[in-house]
Order: sequence, then C-alpha cells, then structure tokens
Amino acid sequence: MDFLTSLTAKMPTFLASAAGEASEASLFEKFGVNWPKFLAQVLLFLIVYMILSKFAFKPIMVILEERKQRIAESEENLKKIAAELEAADLKRGEIISEANSRAERLVTEARESAESVAEKKRAEATSEAALIIAKAREAGELEKNQAMAELKRDFGRLVVDTTGKVTGKVLSDDDQETINREISAQISL
Amino acid sequence: MIQGGLDALILEGLNPMPLLGKVSLFAEPFAEAKIFGWLTNSVFVAAFIALLLLWAARKATRNAQRVPTGFQNFFELIVEFLYSQVEQIVGQKLAPRVFPLLATIFIYVAVANWFGLLPGIGTIGFGSEPTKAFLTLSAHDHHVVPLLRPPTADLNLTLGMAAVFMLIWVYLTVRETGVIGFIKHTFGPKGGIKGALGMVLVPIFMFVGVIEIISIALRPVSLSLRLFGNVFAGENLMHVMSGLGDKAGAVVSFLISVLLPLPTFFLELLVGGLQAMVFALLCAVYIQLSTTHEEEEDH
Repeated sequence: MDFLTSLTAKMPTFLASAAGEASEASLFEKFGVNWPKFLAQVLLFLIVYMILSKFAFKPIMVILEERKQRIAESEENLKKIAAELEAADLKRGEIISEANSRAERLVTEARESAESVAEKKRAEATSEAALIIAKAREAGELEKNQAMAELKRDFGRLVVDTTGKVTGKVLSDDDQETINREISAQISL
Repeated sequence: MIQGGLDALILEGLNPMPLLGKVSLFAEPFAEAKIFGWLTNSVFVAAFIALLLLWAARKATRNAQRVPTGFQNFFELIVEFLYSQVEQIVGQKLAPRVFPLLATIFIYVAVANWFGLLPGIGTIGFGSEPTKAFLTLSAHDHHVVPLLRPPTADLNLTLGMAAVFMLIWVYLTVRETGVIGFIKHTFGPKGGIKGALGMVLVPIFMFVGVIEIISIALRPVSLSLRLFGNVFAGENLMHVMSGLGDKAGAVVSFLISVLLPLPTFFLELLVGGLQAMVFALLCAVYIQLSTTHEEEEDH
C-alpha cells in the first residue's frame, strides 16, 4: 500500500521530468545519434560491404556458378550416357535377336541337311546292302551249283566205281556217261 | 551525463532494484576530446568486427577449391543459403545485384549481435564514481563505461546501415522502374483497375500513395529502431539477470550471475540471428516491392 502511495506521489514528478527531457533534446540526441558517430558507422559498414562483396561473395559466387555449370554439364552428360546406354541395349537386343534367329535358321538348315544326308546315306546303305545280298545270293547259288556239280560228279564216279567193282566189268565211256546222266537226273533237286 | 535519458525512466527510491540494468542508452566515446568524439566503444567493436570479417573472407576464399573443405565449405553454405533466400524474394534478375548488400547486412548484424554476448562485452570497462577504478567489473551501484559495446546496441550503426540501404534502394528503384514508373507505381491505380472505376478511385489511390511515401520515409527509422531496441533490450536483460544477486553475498551473487542469465543467453542467441534475418529479409522485401513491375505482379 505504501509502495502504491509513494508511486502515485512520485508519478507526476517522473512524467514532468520525462516530458522536460523530451522537449530539451531531440529523439536522436537522446539515443546518442550524432553526425561523427553516424558517419563512422556508415563508413565501417561500407568498408565491410565492399570487402565482403569483392573478396568474399564475388569469388564464392564464381565458384558456385562454375560448380552449377559443371553439375548441369554432368547431368547433360548423364542424360546422353543414359540415352546411349538405352540405344546400346536396344542394339544389343536386336543383335541377340538376329543372332538367335540366324542360329535357329542354321540349326534348322543343319538339321534338314543332316536328315537329307542321313536319308541319302540310308538309301545308299540300303541299295548297297541289297547289292551285297544279291551278290551273296548269287555267290551262294554259284557255290551251291558248283557243289552240286561236284557232288554229282563224285557221286557218279562213286557209282561207276561201285558198279564196276560189283559187276566186275570195266565200264565203257558210254556206260559211264549214261550212268552219270541218270544219276545227275535222279540227284537233281 | 552518461546515463542520460535512462535515469528518467528509473523511479529511484520506489523500487528495490533498478527497473532496467544500467546499460547506457548510447555508445560512449573513449576520449573527452571532441575530435575523437566519433571513436566510441561501439565504433571500436564495429571496426574489430570489420577486421574479423575481412580475415574470415580471406580465409574462406584464399586457395578456394572446387571441392570445398573446412571454412570454405561453411562459408559457401551460408552464401548459398542466403542467395536462395534473396533469389526467392527479389527474383532471379535482381538477385545477383542485391545479394552482396543483403548478405553483408545479415552477416554483419548477426556477428555484431552475437559478439555482444561474449563475456566481458558491456561489462568490463572504465569505472567512474564512486570507485574511480580504471578497470572494473560492472556493478549496479555505480556506472561503468564499457570498453566494448555491441555495435547493434548503438542507434548510429543501425541507422547508418538503414540509411545506406535506403540510398541503394532508391538507386535500384529508379534504375529498375524509372522516376515516372515509381510515381505511377506508388500513386497509380493498382490491381489492374481501369476505365471509369479507375478514374473514380484515383483520389483513393493518391491518398494511399501519400501513405506509402510516409511509410517509405519511416522505413530507415523502423528498421534501425527495431534492431537497436531488440539488442539493447537484450543487453539490459542480461545485466539485470546477472545483477539480481548482487546484494546476497559473494558466492550467491556469483552463482546467480552465472546461472540466471543462462536461459537469457540462449534467448539472445536466437534473437541475434532472428533480428539479422528480419533486417535483411525486410530489406529484400522492400526491394522486391518497389522493383516489381505491374505486369509481373499480374502474372
């Protein structure tokens, strides 16, 4: 309570003092603004501005710009490389596809050729076998005939010898001939 | 003399502690001689920051490599971030021209704001009555002229920066739209209104133009006072927080002066960056507003 009473009592004095000071000095003066200090600060700010502009921001901006360009170039190159890769992939696909079809064609051709050769060989083998068989048959027949002829001859001789020994007479050539002929006729199968 | 108008705001005798920390409202000169009147603790720190930025710029760009490392990488990160922000606001055409100015404003203000948070800045300085010590720590029962003061807590700097920006703004606006274009842009009918309706609305648009001119004229003041106010308030807050335990004994006072300002410290880190961004972005918006052509706005 005492505090409030004291405050109320002193408030007019305080306000009067503040108003008096405000009228005596301008706002800028009260804040200590004057030309020498102001110009000193302006000069310092301008120096900082010029120094930073020339020695800091300019070189850094140049580096940043260079880097931006390099990044843009790299991106452009990347796009080119991607396009080239895509084209190469496409081409590779085409080549593989072409190679596949060619290989397929070759395999087909080889298969067809092999089949044709096999067929030909088979036919040749068949005809050759047939020929061999025919020749064998002919030879067999010939051998059989020869054997038969030899058999007949031996048998005839045996009969003639036997007949000669049984009858005790020497058979003439005509008799032998006749006996041989009859035996041949009877043995003929 | 040093406390100036600030004392008028303190109701001495009523409050157990000052309403505001005893941070001077303005930067104080090192010497009494009038010829060195400009050399204040704020100008001294601003010059130091200028040198610091020069060193940083040299470090970042000397032997700059295509593949950045270390500080160059960090600097490029800031530059790229700021450039994209500026480009989004002012457009591709103007961005390369205004970027150095806006980036300088941001970096300079941010570094100045955060520099003020370093220990000793605003607290170590020349003592005055009653201690008369040459070098003393800040206390709340006597005044200390700080050796170093955050430059953005000096209206001369914020106003100077805003004034430089406004001069460049005028140059850019006249270059982009021409004097006639600027007058038409400010006082002419907006929103594509033409014909009879446009003629009827001419007085209203003229009035709006006058308000716009007043608003433009007040921009340097609003820009500078916003930044100054925020940083100055932060300084005061830190002083008050650190001085709350001054009368509670050495150990408690020490603990309080370390622990209590800690949350405020982080708040001030945030405010410092935020105010730098606000200042730079507002400048970018002012440029965009005055240099955008009517036909561009329509699209």
